[in-house]
Amino acid sequence: MTKHKTKLIVAACAGAMLLAGCEKKDETLKLFSWSEYVPQAVIDKFTEETGIKVSVENYSSNEEMLAKLLAGGGAYDLIQPSEYTVQAMIKEDLLQELDQAKIPNLKNLAPEFRNMPFDPNNKFSVPWLAGFVGVVYNAEVVPGPIVSYKDVFTDEHAGRIVILDDARETVSWGLATAGIPINNVTDENLATITPLLKDWLGKVKVFDSDSPKTAMSNGDTDIGIVWSGEGALLFAENPKFQWVMPVEGVHMFVDNLAIPKTSQNKDKAEAFINFILRPEISKMISDEFPYYNPNLEARALLSPEQLNNPASYPPGFDVTSAQLFTDLGEQASKVDELITTLKAQ
Amino acid sequence: MTDAPSLVPPGRRWWLPQGPAVQRAFFGGWTVAVFAFLYLPIALLVVYSFNDSKLNLYWAGFTTKWYGLLFGNEVLLRAFQNSLIVATATTALSVVIGTSAAWLLYRYRFPAQQTLGLLIFIPMVMPEVLMGVSLLVLFVSLGIPLGYTTLIIAHTTFCFPFVLVGVQARLQGIDPSLEEAAMDLGATPLKAFWLVIIPYLLPAIVAGALMSFTLSFDEYIVTIFTSGADSQTLPLKVYGMVRVGLNPQLNALSTLFIAATAVLVIASQVFTRKKTI
Amino acid sequence: MAVAAAAAALAAGPSPQRRAGLGPWFAVTPMLGWLALFVIVPTLMLLVISFCERDALGRIVYSFTFENYTRAFDWKWLKILGISVWYAFLTTAICLVLGYPVAYFIGRSSDRVRGLLIMLVMIPFWTSFLIRTYAWISILSQDGLLNALLMTLKITSAPIGFMYTPFAVILGLVYNFLPFMILPIYTSVEKLDGSLIEAAYDLGARPARVFSKVVLPLTQPGIAAGILLVFVPAIAMFAITNLMGGGANPTIGEVIQNQFTRARNQPFGAALGVLLLAIFIFSLWLSSKFRRSEQE
Repeated sequence: MTKHKTKLIVAACAGAMLLAGCEKKDETLKLFSWSEYVPQAVIDKFTEETGIKVSVENYSSNEEMLAKLLAGGGAYDLIQPSEYTVQAMIKEDLLQELDQAKIPNLKNLAPEFRNMPFDPNNKFSVPWLAGFVGVVYNAEVVPGPIVSYKDVFTDEHAGRIVILDDARETVSWGLATAGIPINNVTDENLATITPLLKDWLGKVKVFDSDSPKTAMSNGDTDIGIVWSGEGALLFAENPKFQWVMPVEGVHMFVDNLAIPKTSQNKDKAEAFINFILRPEISKMISDEFPYYNPNLEARALLSPEQLNNPASYPPGFDVTSAQLFTDLGEQASKVDELITTLKAQ
Repeated sequence: MTDAPSLVPPGRRWWLPQGPAVQRAFFGGWTVAVFAFLYLPIALLVVYSFNDSKLNLYWAGFTTKWYGLLFGNEVLLRAFQNSLIVATATTALSVVIGTSAAWLLYRYRFPAQQTLGLLIFIPMVMPEVLMGVSLLVLFVSLGIPLGYTTLIIAHTTFCFPFVLVGVQARLQGIDPSLEEAAMDLGATPLKAFWLVIIPYLLPAIVAGALMSFTLSFDEYIVTIFTSGADSQTLPLKVYGMVRVGLNPQLNALSTLFIAATAVLVIASQVFTRKKTI
Repeated sequence: MAVAAAAAALAAGPSPQRRAGLGPWFAVTPMLGWLALFVIVPTLMLLVISFCERDALGRIVYSFTFENYTRAFDWKWLKILGISVWYAFLTTAICLVLGYPVAYFIGRSSDRVRGLLIMLVMIPFWTSFLIRTYAWISILSQDGLLNALLMTLKITSAPIGFMYTPFAVILGLVYNFLPFMILPIYTSVEKLDGSLIEAAYDLGARPARVFSKVVLPLTQPGIAAGILLVFVPAIAMFAITNLMGGGANPTIGEVIQNQFTRARNQPFGAALGVLLLAIFIFSLWLSSKFRRSEQE
């Protein structure tokens, strides 16, 4: 009896041992990116063309990336921070200045992405993809018209709402509704919008930042505030999922590539940045992630279906009118506490 | 329980099935029901792996394309391989540490024994992010580069208590004469442990190993902080995929792994039975 | 606290202990080293961090402050801890009721199938957690399979909202923790002496009585272990709670996680973690004290 139990375990585990391989690497480009945000085909093509091997590590939030980077987890050559993180990292002198002569493809970027307020003239960072936060609703159930954040949180929609599980986002909708600039996250302003947010959060059914589309497409919610990529996927699944850019003002986020001070392969990192700015490569990224592509030349290559998705490329929307988050610093803790408390009420 | 003098025989409980055979049928039926519960989502997962649509909810026709895509997906397969390597090594280490610790704490008196027994629960109750970040800082200050080693150490740290607790339970009420008999026959304590105690503990060790493997195979947050570029595991990939919709290739991968394990298990059963005859 | 009692029962049960000689000391050293280096040192680090401040980027600033603890002693965090413990308790209770008969059946079945059955309990969990959970979501959601079934059978006329409710949370938790209850109980049942049970029957005891007077007491260590292995990890678990419950009820694990990520307040997260550990260790210690004084 004892013998066959040992066998069970041995049998189950032996396969694993056989598969175990060993690989040593030297001059590889160490990419530290969002989990599954850089298509493998792009990396393979880069290696094929340049002979530079790429190793990839993943994270799932800007703060995880910062924590691992600052702890000295690895000598990363390229990271993928969002705009407010770029701003904070520039301020703390954690990024290397780009040698723009080595990145001629910067010219492919749309002019509005060449001079973003968090990093004027792309001195330290190059946009990867951008996106918006907006309202998505099931037009078969919700009659509309929906134009603003507060249209989401009506009594009719109570218990049928999904929103991003993101304290900063939620606070910014409240601020915008109260007519306060979304980056003025002071204690007084937080106090001002607390009653409003309390009312709103009480009506929310689902908080989800990773896949809010699930609750929408399974019919558990009818309306929500989500990332534009989520809205685009829902629209592509079924056009009954309408996308709305809120009238109070639209928040745009920009994910970027940047080279941290730890990098010892700056040339290769710049070669990679230049590579992904090529229209046909940038198109490969857009094919997998239906966000707003800042690369103007790449956009010319996209299919009409991609370009006509109202969540990916909102018709008639002037990107320069969108608002960006600035780094909150220590105030982030208060924002988190407010939303956590309101959720637990 | 007070047994009032009545026509009902003492100890009789109407809600518990009576008679050994009935009781056995009751437990058997219960087990079948629980297995149905355990395998319900797994059955779906297998069905979806043959579904010609990326969306789980609708059946769009039979296809094996996800299996084809899976075999071409080197990154996913490599992540799976990494998960297997880490989980296997973690299991082995956890079993050794957990079993020997349980035995030593049970059999011998150490100073501060009570404290030791309590410390073991720290990794079980500590939120993963605390463990991940603090181990990351520790590894960096010790100069250990992030990779398989750090990942396996981190996983073992939260897995071995599961083995330890299980083995402790099995040790309760063990016949002390078991070990003594072996020692009377001239075995050293080590030999007695190996020849008598280990076989006795084996079911608990197997259970602990199964739990360790499962925990390590699925761990995500600790892995983010303690893995290196060469040791990115499956959960790291899967979590990223959720944002664009879970890929049915994952269903295909899970189906294959479950099928392979089941075949191995059944094969080893048949094999050992033949040998014992 | 039943769980603390369970832990104490396991750790401080009567055993033929003898003072450790050189050999046992030698053998226990690797485990002590491991505990010291990878459990105690990180825990102490957290303790230090919990008294520190942090800068705008979330980096630790090593200056002493009590602020994190004064902030942590607040009803709102305690309430969140209470909910987490409540979920963990419910999960443990349901797992015990569901799991015990299974463990008993497997433990009492023949040598031939026992190993197979116990493997079958664990194999479903060698899939990815997210895939399993999304499979459950596709069963329980409004347009999901369960509602389709209920409506086809005309049991309900309108879909029922199973998802994003406490019911879904508990279902998800029970599903994922059930094996951790079944396995340790199984190892206790497996060593039951069959002749003991037969003797009880021969003496005229009824099955129910045999079960409560013979089987249950003898498998009590397994039950204690199962309770520990489910309850303790379930307190800090939040991924399931979030996905199945819609994230409307924050749990303590999530609050701590958020301090380390988007709130960028590692010292406060560490302080909450230290308090969680302290409460837990204290209740374990207290009940083991109780137990020892009872025994003496």
